Amino acid sequence: MKKIFLCCSAGMSTSMLVKKMEQAAAGRGLDVEIAAVAMSGFDEAIEAYDVCLLGPQVKFKLADFQAQAAQLNKKVEAIEPMAYGMMNGEKVLDQALSLLEA
Amino acid sequence: MKLYDQLIKFVEQKLGPIAGKLGAQRHITALRDGFLVAMPFIIVGSFILIFANPPFAADTTNAFGRAWLDFVAAHRPTIVMPWTMSMGIMSLFITMGVAYSLAKSYKMDGIGAAALSAMSFLLIAAPEKGWALPLNHFAGTGIFTAILAAYFSVELTRILKKYNITIRMPEQVPPAIAASFALLVPVLAIFLTLYPLSLFVQTNFGMQIPEAVMAVFKPLVSASNSLPAILGAILLSQLLWFAGIHGANIVVGILSPIFLANIGANAAAYAAGETVPNLFTQPFWDFYIFIGGAGATLALVFLMSFSKATHLRSVGRMSFLPGVFQINEPVMFGAPVVMNPTLFVPFVLAPVMNAIIAYFAVNTGIVDKAIAVTPWTAPALIGAAWGAGWAFKASILTAFLLVLDVLVYLPFFKAYEKQLLAQENASLSGTTQAEKTGQPVTA
Repeated sequence: MKKIFLCCSAGMSTSMLVKKMEQAAAGRGLDVEIAAVAMSGFDEAIEAYDVCLLGPQVKFKLADFQAQAAQLNKKVEAIEPMAYGMMNGEKVLDQALSLLEA
Repeated sequence: MKLYDQLIKFVEQKLGPIAGKLGAQRHITALRDGFLVAMPFIIVGSFILIFANPPFAADTTNAFGRAWLDFVAAHRPTIVMPWTMSMGIMSLFITMGVAYSLAKSYKMDGIGAAALSAMSFLLIAAPEKGWALPLNHFAGTGIFTAILAAYFSVELTRILKKYNITIRMPEQVPPAIAASFALLVPVLAIFLTLYPLSLFVQTNFGMQIPEAVMAVFKPLVSASNSLPAILGAILLSQLLWFAGIHGANIVVGILSPIFLANIGANAAAYAAGETVPNLFTQPFWDFYIFIGGAGATLALVFLMSFSKATHLRSVGRMSFLPGVFQINEPVMFGAPVVMNPTLFVPFVLAPVMNAIIAYFAVNTGIVDKAIAVTPWTAPALIGAAWGAGWAFKASILTAFLLVLDVLVYLPFFKAYEKQLLAQENASLSGTTQAEKTGQPVTA
């Protein structure tokens, strides 16, 4: 099973997107686990999950987080702002999956 | 328009990167995360304080109010005790939380750092008297000392480790046991540094370190209650958010010690039946200035929900419920407000106007100052009253500001709606044309 987590300031707005992504994944019959985590929980989450997507509003943490994830051979990317605002679960799920394949 | 372009360029190229660096800076991150540790104790604790001070006049004839007042009068110390042991000692939680987060960021032992920091704080802020710890610096007046104690103890431990100043164990000693000795030198180092400093401050200035620290930070704290400082903080937060950076995360991160020092003093005054001193608090910031999130966007979301433009309507309806709970990322990135020149003016103007009106309403005593800390996700109408000790005048102010925000956003929203309607119509007629010619329709 693939494990994805989204990360933002308090893990509030990303938790809404998680719901949409879960729906998208269920529609495709994918077996994935998706979670929303506050920035302060990144350290532990990156150990337990396969990939991280970052809310665009906390993009200033991207370089830090990428460096940390690279040590575990994992990837972190920021979510495209419009997909985030529209809570587009399909598109963000695609982004996460493409990161896992690459 | 030229001014706007220059401003955006400044935010993107200068302010944004600086704020990003600050937001990612480990001491500031630790500050924010450390406060999160203390928050539940402070929020629930301040709830008790409200219970201990019923919102009824002393001579009320209301039977429920009378019974409540009498109950509190008979059992006040018993009722207030949980407040004293939560919000009343918040600096202890803060020093541990900040030290834990900072140590973690250095990949050091978190619980050890938290314990060492607690000891450092107690050593300088609460020297034992008659086999009891004096609690007077455990709340608002101890916050800056608590933060400094956390920074100092963690950095000291780190430096000692870096220069290998430690008790060396023979190689046969198991690593787990050797690690348990790792804190011996730092504890001793704190004794040898902070304790003499504390004694020095006591004998030379006749005060404890927290009082000295408070004296240093006092100008900052009193400035925080002034309108220019409040407006400055709002502008900074708004400009960052407009560039798509979580401005509040950074600005509130830095403001939080001031917020807590202010509300701590307010709560203490309220508990003692004295005049509540400070205006600038977290409920003031969240529930008067930023109704529905940064930019007071609840008004915009409301307008969008009834828009003729499909895009605005769908984003508006999706953003409504989160907006009620002060979360506005969907509207910020969906409308979008971020980098949208049409919405720039109301996005800055609405919170500034809210702040000015609320400032005068609170300062003239029309509305009470906040005495309780609330979750920032409380709906603004409820949160305002909650913060002010369930004084519903505060909710009326919030409702009034919300209506004004709608008026501020309205013309700009209309202009943006017009742009989108034109686009939607254009793509619609494009579709019909494509259907006529049998061309495939691309989204």
